[in-house]
Amino acid sequence: MKITRFDKLFGGRNGVLLGLAVAFILILALVPLFASGFWMRTLTMIFLLAAMAEGWNYIGGYTGYAAFGNVAFFGVGAYGTALAMLRLHFPFFLAMVVGVLAAMAFAVIIGLPVLRLKGHYFAIATVALATAMGELADFWTSFTGGAAGLTLPFFNPLKWSNQFFYYISLLLVVFGLWLTYFLMNRKLGYSWVAVRENEDAARMMGINTTWSKVTAFALSAMMAGAAGAIYGYWSTFVLAEEVFKIDYTLQMILATVLGGPGTIFGPFIGSFIYYILITLLVFFFHVGEFHETILGTIIILVMVFTPQGIMDFLSGKKKLTISSLLENIRMHRV
Amino acid sequence: MNYEIGQGVVNALLLTGTLTLVAIGFSIVWGILNIINIAHGAFIMLGAYVTYWLFTLYGVDPFLSIPISMALMFILGYVIQRYLINLVIRAPLLVTFLLTFALEIVIINLATVFWKGDFRSVTTSYSGAGFAIGHVQVPYVRLAAFVISLLITGLLHVFMTYTRQGNAIRATGMDVDAARLQGVKIAHTYALTFALGAALAGAAGSLISVSFPISPTMGGEYTLRAFVICVLGGLGSIPGVLAGALVFAFIEVFSGVYAPGLKEAIALFVMVLVLIVRPSGIAGKAFYH
Repeated sequence: MKITRFDKLFGGRNGVLLGLAVAFILILALVPLFASGFWMRTLTMIFLLAAMAEGWNYIGGYTGYAAFGNVAFFGVGAYGTALAMLRLHFPFFLAMVVGVLAAMAFAVIIGLPVLRLKGHYFAIATVALATAMGELADFWTSFTGGAAGLTLPFFNPLKWSNQFFYYISLLLVVFGLWLTYFLMNRKLGYSWVAVRENEDAARMMGINTTWSKVTAFALSAMMAGAAGAIYGYWSTFVLAEEVFKIDYTLQMILATVLGGPGTIFGPFIGSFIYYILITLLVFFFHVGEFHETILGTIIILVMVFTPQGIMDFLSGKKKLTISSLLENIRMHRV
Repeated sequence: MNYEIGQGVVNALLLTGTLTLVAIGFSIVWGILNIINIAHGAFIMLGAYVTYWLFTLYGVDPFLSIPISMALMFILGYVIQRYLINLVIRAPLLVTFLLTFALEIVIINLATVFWKGDFRSVTTSYSGAGFAIGHVQVPYVRLAAFVISLLITGLLHVFMTYTRQGNAIRATGMDVDAARLQGVKIAHTYALTFALGAALAGAAGSLISVSFPISPTMGGEYTLRAFVICVLGGLGSIPGVLAGALVFAFIEVFSGVYAPGLKEAIALFVMVLVLIVRPSGIAGKAFYH
């Protein structure tokens, strides 16, 4: 079964859509030449979300483990980077490596025991660990600064700050896309899908499922950790209740599910759709108060009508009709 | 020091009652429907607000408002399950998980917008009253909450074991297809089970509101507690939930005394440990399915 050759990737419309994707990324690379600060910041947020979503896609989309605590990696990445910059006086890029490695190490340490759990138990254990990490970061004042948070220096020179964070986030997203494509044509990527489809059968076929799951978890931690590192330096302030907020986990899952879990471009496209939808609603229709109600309603609608994401519609595999939207209900109702 | 331990033990025992009620609805929904109801805490919050508004606006005694908040939450739960969750109940886990997550977000957001985010409390004329055994204080409201919790738990046990409808619910949890063949209406039974879970959450909320301050975001921690208790006690049996609540209450009260900032982290850490070492819980085997 070839999973991610480009012909599979986009169904019958591969060439056109791949061209569109490349053109889209090139346009994104040129955006800072004419866009305002507001749109650059919005796009930077979308890129960071997309990077996290691409990471979540490894464990949640391809490997099929409903990880609900990926914000922990975002937080560990942010704190690792901030602490390396403040305590060890590392330059940002070196500090980012520290943060990302810390997030990956954390993923391996908790992944080895927790990835033995299945279904609901795995989901809640990851929620619990992320919550506990947030509380620990808040409590351990001597190391993390506690409730006062950590204040980082501004990017220097300040006038290039927007551009710097824009491009580094874009680079992270493109790296994530490349990594997904690369892995999905390697043994490791195939083993993830095998674990998702049938873990026992995968083990029987000689796949080291523990290794496979832990690498998926660690690589998703790498993406979230890198996003956290960038986010921390960008906002120049790292605080436990901000960087361990469960909203981030929800957003990365929603972006992935909206786009299409287990596809290369799904999380990327989903992040755009999600974020632009929210931004439009909040800024142009003045429903800021009801922000979360809207987020929740979108999740409910997606879960009821298109839990496989919109990639199937974009690729032409499914036609967008009322009947295809009701298919999920027909299959899963009682 | 001894006084502290004595008070801790009494507090933990009193807390066990409320925590049992918090967890039992969650446990039933999980055991029968195989749904992790993340919105459980939001139902608890709604129950607490029903009591708060009835008390503040109409002066209804908080303990008398329990049946009202149970009835309201029962209706809400029935509608949500029958017309929303039932549509996708056989979908993969992620779908129902995210669905209830979304419900929680919506309920909390609406509550925050309409009732504001500040903490409120139900303060009756007898709120501060209590008696003492030696140096150990026993407030009347907590003792009453303890007794009522155990009473409701007992009634639930009777309902599940001795009534036709209760047996239908348990049969559905054991084997959906076999239950359907016996003439059980699955869609209705699922909705009834979820409604029961919501009603129990409503009762828990009413009882919580007499002893603790309430706010729209109070629910999240109770959802997590319910989950930890179910894991500790093993899924799907009423005695299991009681045992889980007892263990959890002691962990919570004593970590609250010795490491206040890490109360939640310690409980969650214990849960992850139990999950890893003994995934079927302390009390062992599943009963509902």
